[in-house]
Amino acid sequence: MTTLSGIIFIIGKAFLLALAAPFVSGIIRKTKNCMRMRRGQGLFQFYFDIRKLFSKDEVISKNVSWIFFAAPAVVFTASVLALLMILMVQPGSFTSDGMAILIAVFFVFGLARFFLALAGLDAGSSFGGMGSSREMFISSFAEPAIFITAFVLCVSGGNSFKVSNLLALFSVSMAVIAETSRIPVDNKETHLELTMIHEAMVLEYSGRSLALIELASHIKQIVFFTILSWYIFTPQVPGIYAWAIFPAKIAAISIIVAFVEISLAKMRLFRAVDFLSFSFFIALVASIAASLGL
Amino acid sequence: MNNHEYIKNILDSEKIGAVNISAPYRDELYVTVTGADFGKVCSLLHKRLDSAVMTFFAEDMRARSGSFTVYCAFLSVQARSWIFVRQDVPGENPEFVSIAKDIYSAALFERETNEMFGITPLGNPDIRSLRLHDEVWPRGFYPLRKDFVPPAGKSADGAQYQFRRVEGEGIFEVPVGPVHAGIIGPGHFRFSAAGEPVINLEIRLGWTHRGIEKLLEGKDHAEAVNIVERISGDTAFGYSLAFCNSVEKMLGPEIPVRAQVLRVLYLELERLYNHANDMGGIALDVGFSFPAQFASLIKESILRLNENLSGSRYLKGINIVGGVEKDIDKAKSAVIDEALTKIEKDILALEDMLFSSISFMDRVDATGILRTQTARDLGITGVAARASGIGLDLRKAFPDIYGVFSFAAAKEHRGDVASRFKVRCFETKESISLIHQSLKKLDGCGPQLKIAVLPKEGTALGSAEAWRGPVLVWTRLGAGGKIERCKITDPSFRNWEGLSYAVLGNIIPDFPLCNKSFDLSYPGNDL
Repeated sequence: MTTLSGIIFIIGKAFLLALAAPFVSGIIRKTKNCMRMRRGQGLFQFYFDIRKLFSKDEVISKNVSWIFFAAPAVVFTASVLALLMILMVQPGSFTSDGMAILIAVFFVFGLARFFLALAGLDAGSSFGGMGSSREMFISSFAEPAIFITAFVLCVSGGNSFKVSNLLALFSVSMAVIAETSRIPVDNKETHLELTMIHEAMVLEYSGRSLALIELASHIKQIVFFTILSWYIFTPQVPGIYAWAIFPAKIAAISIIVAFVEISLAKMRLFRAVDFLSFSFFIALVASIAASLGL
Repeated sequence: MNNHEYIKNILDSEKIGAVNISAPYRDELYVTVTGADFGKVCSLLHKRLDSAVMTFFAEDMRARSGSFTVYCAFLSVQARSWIFVRQDVPGENPEFVSIAKDIYSAALFERETNEMFGITPLGNPDIRSLRLHDEVWPRGFYPLRKDFVPPAGKSADGAQYQFRRVEGEGIFEVPVGPVHAGIIGPGHFRFSAAGEPVINLEIRLGWTHRGIEKLLEGKDHAEAVNIVERISGDTAFGYSLAFCNSVEKMLGPEIPVRAQVLRVLYLELERLYNHANDMGGIALDVGFSFPAQFASLIKESILRLNENLSGSRYLKGINIVGGVEKDIDKAKSAVIDEALTKIEKDILALEDMLFSSISFMDRVDATGILRTQTARDLGITGVAARASGIGLDLRKAFPDIYGVFSFAAAKEHRGDVASRFKVRCFETKESISLIHQSLKKLDGCGPQLKIAVLPKEGTALGSAEAWRGPVLVWTRLGAGGKIERCKITDPSFRNWEGLSYAVLGNIIPDFPLCNKSFDLSYPGNDL
C-alpha cells in the first residue's frame, strides 16, 4: 500500500467518499420526510446548499480573532485528513496498525472540535458559548466508548457472529449518533437556538466558512458511518466484494439512523450522559468479551 | 341572597360601610370607594372572594368629572359576578396608593396604567414601561389620555430599560430575541443562568404594540369588531365574542338562540385547532417530528373545515353585535359531523402516540412546574391555571348558553408541561363533544341569526373563555354609540410572568418546551 498506485487509489476513494458525503445526509433527510408524510427536499439538496453558501458573502462579527477565521479551515482539513486515514485501514485484516490509525482519527476529530468550540466562544455571542460548552460536555462522554470499541474491532475483526463485536456495534452506534449530532442526543433540524448543541457553535458562520463547516460535518458523518460499517459482516464479505457492498451498508445505516430519529424525542440534555455512559459500559463489556476471545 | 347583599356583608364584616354599591347587570357589581379605602376594599375582596385581580384599568373622565377613574375587577365565582372596585383619581398630578404590595396580581396592571395614563401607583416598586419602550418613546406622552397628542419623534434621551441583574460566580446572562429563528412573535428573553439551570428569566415584551385600545376609541361597534378580531390572530373568534358580549349586554337585545349555539360551535372549533397545534408544537420542540407532522395535518383539516363553514380559516368575520353572520345549514352540519369523526380518530391516535412514547413523556414530565400558589399569586388564568390546580373556566362560572351542554372543565394539579399537555388533550375531547351537541341543538332552533341593535350609552364587561384562557373586554359606549374606552385583557398578559416562574431551576434547553406548553400570545399581550 505504500506504492504510488496505492496512494492514488486512496486519494481516489477519499475523493469519491467526500463527494458522496452530502448525499448520505440527503438519504437520511429524505427517508425522514417520507416517513413523515412529506415530500421534502430532493436527495441532492445539500449539494445545492453548499454551492449556494460558497457563492455568498460572509457576515463577520467585529469582535472575532484569528481563531474564528482559522476554525473552518482546520475543521475541514481535519475531516479530509480523517477520511484519508481511515481509508488506510484494511477492513478484514485489522491489526495494531489499524488500531493506531483509528485512535489518530479520533484525535484529529478532537482537534477539529477544539477549534470549533473556541470559534463558538470567539464572537462572544451567548449561543456560541452554550454550544461549545455542551459540545465538549457531550463529546467527553462519547469519546471513551469510541476508543474502546476501536480496540474491540481490531480484536474481533468485525465478525458479526462474535459476541464482542455485536456488543461493540451496539455501543459504537450510540456513540456515532452523538458524534453526528442526531436525535436523541442532538437535533440537526431544529430552529430553536436554545436547544442546539453542535449547531449553536456554528451560528455565527455564514457564506464560504459555513460551507466548509457543513461539508466537513458531512464528511465526518461518512467517516463515522464507514467505521460503523466495519462492524457488520466484515470477514463474511472479503476482498473486492467489500467495496461493492459498502454503499449498501452505508445506505442501510443511513435509513436506520433516519428511523431512530423519527421514532424518538430528543433527550433532555443531561440524560445524554446516561445514554452515553450506557454506551461506554457496553463497550467495556465488549472489550472483556473480546479479550476472552468471544 | 343577591350579589348586592353578598358583597355588602363582606364589606360590613370589616366595618367598611360608607361605600356606594351599584349593580347595573346581573353579573356586574360596582363598589365606589374613596382613594383611602381603595386598597383596603380590594384586599378584603381579594381574600374573601379568593380571586386574583381579573382586570384593572383606568379611564380618562376629565371631560365629565375632572378626574380619572381607576377600576379593579375581581371575580366572585360563588355570586357569579364580576366585582369592580372603583375610585376617582384627581385630574391634576394623578396618583393613587398601589395595591400591588398586598395583591401581586395587580402589579402589571398598575405598570400599564402608569404608562398609558400617567397615573402613578404610589409604592409600586416597579413602574418600568411595558410597551412604550423608553429607547424610542419620549417621556410625558400618555396615549390613552383623551388630550393625547402623538410625539413628534423618537426619544433621544438615551434611556435604557433596566433588567433585573443576578450576580455571582459563574452566573452569565443569555439574551434571546426579540427576533427569533422561527416564525413567531417578537419577545426578548433575558436568562440569568449558572451553567445550564436558569436562575432568573425576565421577559420583555411590547414589540408588537399597535395601540389597539386607542385605535378603538371613537369607532362604532361594527368597525370595532373588525379591529378586535385582529388583536391576536389565533383568537379571532374569542376576541370578537368577548367584545360582542360586552356591547350586547349594554344594548340589551336577547340574542337569538341559534346565534348563541353557533357561537359555541365556532368557539370550540377555534379551541380545537389551537389545541391540536399546541400538541404538535410540544412534540416538535422535543424533536419528536412524526407526531408533530401528524398534528399539523389535523390542524390543517380543521382550518379547512373552518374555511368551508365560514369562508375564513381563522374564523374572522363571523361575529357581529346582535348575532352571527354565517349560518350552518343541514348540508354543512353533515360536513362537520363527517370531518369531526375523522379528527377525533386522529387526535386519539396522536395522543396515544405521545403518551406511549417513553422518550416524549420523559421530556414533559416534571418539566417547567408552575406551583399552584405561584399561579394564584400571579393571577394566572386559562389552560396554564387549570394545569396548576386552579379550576377556573368561564364556561362553567358564567354558563349562559353553555348551561344547556354537558361538558367538564379540565383540571390537573402538577403544573408541569405534561399537565398543560393533558389539559389540552382533555379539552380537545370536550370540544369535539360540544360541537356534536351544538349540531344537535341547531336542529331545534329557529332560523333567526341576528337581531338589530340600537346604539346606547353605557358600560359593560364582556367575556369569553377563549382557547388560551378568559378574554375580557370592558367597553364604554358614548354619544352615538361610539366607543369611549375599551379595555382589553388577554390571558397572556399575566401568564407570561407565569412562564418566567415556571422555567426557574429548569435547564436552558428546556425553555422552548416550557414556552410552547404555555403558548402565549405576543400581540394579545402587547395590544
